[in-house]
Formats: sequence, C-alpha cells, structure tokens
Amino acid sequence: MPVDFTPQPSSYRDPAGFLFHRDGILYRQVNRSFQADYDELISSGLYDHLVEQHLLIGHEEISENLTGSADWYRTLRPDHIPFISYPYEWCFDMLKDAALVTLQAASDALDKGMMLKDATAYNLQWHRGHLLFLDTLSFERYDEHQPWIAYRQFCEQLLAPLALMHYLQWPLSSLFLAYPEGLPLPLVKKMLPLRSRFNLHVYLHLHLHGGLAAREAKTEAAPSPFSSKKMRDLLRSLRTAVSSFELNRRSGVWSGYYEEAAQRDDYLEQKLALVDRWSAGLNAAAATDLGANEGRFSELLAAQGKFVVSADFDHYSVNRLYGKIKKEGTNNIHPIVLDLAHPSPALGANLEERASFIERTPKGLVLALALVHHLAIGNNLPFDRIVQLFRALGPALIVEFIPKSDEKIVAMLKHKKDIYNNYTQDNFLEAFGRSYRIMAQEPVGASGRTLYLMESHG
Amino acid sequence: MYIFFLYIDPGSGSYLIQAIVAAVLGIAFFFKNIAMAVRHFFYRFFRKKSKMP
Repeated sequence: MPVDFTPQPSSYRDPAGFLFHRDGILYRQVNRSFQADYDELISSGLYDHLVEQHLLIGHEEISENLTGSADWYRTLRPDHIPFISYPYEWCFDMLKDAALVTLQAASDALDKGMMLKDATAYNLQWHRGHLLFLDTLSFERYDEHQPWIAYRQFCEQLLAPLALMHYLQWPLSSLFLAYPEGLPLPLVKKMLPLRSRFNLHVYLHLHLHGGLAAREAKTEAAPSPFSSKKMRDLLRSLRTAVSSFELNRRSGVWSGYYEEAAQRDDYLEQKLALVDRWSAGLNAAAATDLGANEGRFSELLAAQGKFVVSADFDHYSVNRLYGKIKKEGTNNIHPIVLDLAHPSPALGANLEERASFIERTPKGLVLALALVHHLAIGNNLPFDRIVQLFRALGPALIVEFIPKSDEKIVAMLKHKKDIYNNYTQDNFLEAFGRSYRIMAQEPVGASGRTLYLMESHG
Repeated sequence: MYIFFLYIDPGSGSYLIQAIVAAVLGIAFFFKNIAMAVRHFFYRFFRKKSKMP
C-alpha cells in the first residue's frame, strides 16, 4: 500500500534521517543507520538535559513507521513551530545567541560522551522565547581521536559573520543570502581590520584558518589524535571570541521613533487604542507586524494572545526588540529584519529548501502602520503592488494612510523629485478597495492620518 | 591556488588547522589558568583584609 507523505525539501543532506509532512503534521524519521547514536542521545540523558535547558526542541516518539520506509527506526514528532526564520533575517544578538547555544549544546554533549556533527546556523530557530537547536539527529557518539567535524562550519556560518559585524560595526546578516553555505574564510580574513589580529581567538579561528584553508586541501591527511581536553579548549576559545562580540551602535535609522512619535500630541496613544480595539475583535490567531520598529504594536497584539511575526528594515530596532522580549520572557513574538521592498526570496536546491518570506508567514492579521508612504514614495511601489504584498500575507489588514501634506512626507520629498501624483487618498482607497472591504475607518487625532480596518474579499 | 577549494568537501572540519589551533590554545589557556588562579588568590586575600573592622 503506498504511503502518503511529503518529504521536507530542506531535509536531504543527512543520511541519519529526514523530515516529512503527513496530514499537515511535521515528523522526523530516524533511519536505522543512526540507531546507535539516537539511542545514545536518549539513554545518556543528553536529550532530556538539552530539552530541559531550552537548548534543543522537544519531540514525541511515535512507534509507527509513517513512511513505510525499509530504513525506518523511529518516528519523531517535534514540537510545532509556527514560523521559521533564517539567519539572513536575524539581528546580531539573535545570531550571537545561536552561536552560544551551539557551543553550549556541543559542550553539554561532550559531558555525556557525545558531540555535535553540525554547526550550521540553519539548525537553530527562535521558538517560544528561546533559540533552540532543531536537529535532533546532529548529536553523535564522541570519538576521542577526532577533531570537531563541524569546526569549519561553525567558523564560516557563525563566527565569521559575527566577527565582521563586531569589527566593522555594521549589520551584515544579508551576507547569508550571498553565501548560503557560510562565508569563505579567505574573504573574511581580507575583510577583517588589522586590529582583529590582536585577538588571539579571532586570529586563530579566522585569520590563521582562512590563510591555511586553501593549503589544507592538498595536505588533509589522517587526523592526528585530538584529546577531549583539546576539544574543550577549542570550544572555550570559540565561546570567548563570540562572547566578546557586540554590535552596539545605539540607534539605527528608526530607533527612537516612538519617543519622537509620542511627542506628537496623543497620536501614539490614539493609534494604540484603535489597533487594540479593532484587532481584539478579529479571530485571527496570528499577525504580521510590518515596519514594526521596536515592536510597541507587536507587543499589544502579543498581549491579546496572538502569535506575532514582527518585521522591520532597521537592524538596530529589531535587535532592541529581541533584547526586550528575551528579557521579559515574551514567547509569542518572532522578530526579524526584513526589507519589504526586497522580501527574503525562496532559496536552495530547486528553490524549495528555504521558503520565501511570503510563503512562510502565518496568514492572519497584517498590520501596516505608517508604512505605505515608505513603500509608495520611498521605494516607488505603486499602490496595487503594495496591496498584492499585504493580501499575500493574510486576509485581515489594519493600514494607516498618511496624506502627502504630512510633515514626514514633506521631509521625504525635500530632496527628491515629486513624481508621486498618484499618491492620493482616493487612489489608495480605490486600489485597496479592489481586494479588500473596508470594515472601519477612523482619523488618528488631528494628525490628518487615517487608520483603516479591512478584510479581503475572500 | 584557490582552485583547491573546489575539491574541499564543505562538510570537512579543517582537521589540520584544529590541531595547530588546539596546540596554541593549550599553551594559552595553561598560562591563563595560572594567571586566573593567582588573581583569585590575591582577590581572596584582599577581600578578607578589607572585611576586617
């Protein structure tokens, strides 16, 4: 009897097992070839320890062979994650935490006689207030004589981007789009400033490593014995390096937006009250806050129990929001860095490995406050393109229209030729009216700005 | 020279480099641990003293 399941397109690299969907549920199969390692993960207590410490995603073991595969050993049903984000959408502190969690998991594994065989940033995910290791099959029995097989990967995918952001003080998550497998270390070596050579750990793992990477191809021979003491030194050194990195420019383009907005009479309070009232009446379980800044409105939606994807173009604002929700233990906001004029594309083998931002987003309420004018005037996007974007992200919409006479738009057009004759409230309503029904509309105080609640035609 | 990259398995773990790095770290951490022990010793010593009335 043929068994109906869909393999997850991103899960093809590791022969230890694979992910698949069946009846809309995500499962992970453990193959027979990985039996001994999987059993060790469970029986050593490492699995329980990592799950308890919020370092690894939990799962439920299913005794049934759901794929009908002859290689089957176990079926796991990992905890459901409502939204997956990728390192090119992460802020600095999130990537730094991903590196620290990887090192902690490796070190804890070592304590239990196991080791991590992967250190890719894509193995981690922000879920319910923690960065978790997702790949249960990345832990294998530790061979005392082997160096760390994931060392190069760790340096290329986690250490290198963090070091560049730290030394150049520039958000560079988007490098993951150009180098999906990690940054070439000889390039990293060239990009790092001279002073980075004076940090022993950075010198060893990036400069020396980058310099020898090409030579090693010729000489890679049987590895020499590598004691667990050496392994611990290696992990300690990597942790020391990662912990010392910071991206601390206090404000980006949009940081401090709320302080400034709050000074405009009671503009912010009125907007908060309106959004609260309207969104509470909707039965959407998820929301996407576009142009979320430091997340005031995301927090409001999260407090209503909604799961919120909070996206902003400004790396520093997202970094601040990440720090805040981490500190406060908010577990239903997922902050990402995203340029809406260039949302994350689909990537990888057959373009199926990493879904585009639009495909991945849970479809519910879309919040677009003080945003349309940036897309329309800042990025020259016609209204119907903006409608298309919002509509693809969910059926309900709260959107703000800011007239051209507004001081912010006047400031925007000061150094730009005004070619935006189509930017009028009538055209806005006509374009949105083609896809949405307007359920409510209210002016925001005396600002001249209007808030609309809309629902798609279906 | 860079042509050799084409033949590196992306999954390979830079073994030779790890051997060199680990050797350097072994020495560095050896001295660092001594330095930390010394610092800890004096820290305890001074703290005790400052607690005296």
